[in-house]
Amino acid sequence: MSLTKRDAAWLMTKKGFLDMLPLNLAVLPWGILCGSLAIQRDFSVLEALLMPLVVFAGSAQLVAIELMANNASLATVLFTTLVISSRHFLYGLALRDKLKVLPTSWRYSLGFLLTDELFALSGNSKAFVGKLRLIYALVAGGSFYLFWLLWNVTGIVAGSYLPDLTQLGLDFAIAVTFIALVVPTVTNFPMLITVFVAALLSVLFKLLHFELDLVAAAIIAMYCGYLTDRWQCRNQLAKHGLSTKKALNDINKGGGKS
Amino acid sequence: MILLTIFLMAVITFGTRYLFTHPSLPIRLGPKVAKFLSYSAPAVLTAIWVPIIFVQQGQLNLSITNPYFIAASFAVITAAKSKSIYLTMFAGLITFILSRYVQMM
Repeated sequence: MSLTKRDAAWLMTKKGFLDMLPLNLAVLPWGILCGSLAIQRDFSVLEALLMPLVVFAGSAQLVAIELMANNASLATVLFTTLVISSRHFLYGLALRDKLKVLPTSWRYSLGFLLTDELFALSGNSKAFVGKLRLIYALVAGGSFYLFWLLWNVTGIVAGSYLPDLTQLGLDFAIAVTFIALVVPTVTNFPMLITVFVAALLSVLFKLLHFELDLVAAAIIAMYCGYLTDRWQCRNQLAKHGLSTKKALNDINKGGGKS
Repeated sequence: MILLTIFLMAVITFGTRYLFTHPSLPIRLGPKVAKFLSYSAPAVLTAIWVPIIFVQQGQLNLSITNPYFIAASFAVITAAKSKSIYLTMFAGLITFILSRYVQMM
């Protein structure tokens, strides 16, 4: 039985939706918190709705609402937003070679939808390659947008009647989802080092109230993973009878196999 | 004023996501940078979830009776063995609810 183009597109739509579904559900407490906090801090319904509609960010929304409610200056709110969002620079860079070749409309829509969650599902080396994988990414990212909006609206409507769900420990939901996404990708030693360093530094920086805690921990961890990989390559090449100097040259020329 | 702030925030969040996917940006990623960036997903996601487990109300919680820690340990083991996101979430959440319940008794 052969698969028509429409069948294939439908299959990818379903897969994109189902792969993102656990993440869509895991952000329920955060979405409700964002919506209800905006109302509690005297934002109008329109303003509270625009947050998930156009800003479409988790922690940036929460922090900005608190800052604005405390009459922080415009510059403070925007700078804080930039600091919290700065991890997305990494996502754009990591996916640059795949996304830059796409038509403008795809780049804009996938760029807009490029959250932590969509990036987490974009690890496959063939992600965003070909129409079907683009449909997959659009459905996954788009469903996340709609669910985020739905949870925010729930918070806006029912916020004051609901208990603070994050105080119930439901923030564990997002942690367990990320565990489920990260742990299976740790298949080699450099990856293990990356995760270990990121874990250690993120906790340390958080305790030190370091503003760029997340991004700084991530970048240092990535560099440690990268160095571990180079160290492994060098050892492997040396084992195969090449001098370390030649091996290093090969790696520097970009010829090192990873 | 709030509306203006919200729209400027939107420009920033979209800008940070979109910027480096823009084709005419004069950036070329060599194999070394590409390798470095290949660690971004595990690094960033780990830097998000680990503090949720160990830092509560700004305090470090390394106790082995910390429900977050117990449940996260179960989740990590389940994820490593099953590689299933649904099974991992199920095991993690059940363990979390149970260990919180036991702790409260």
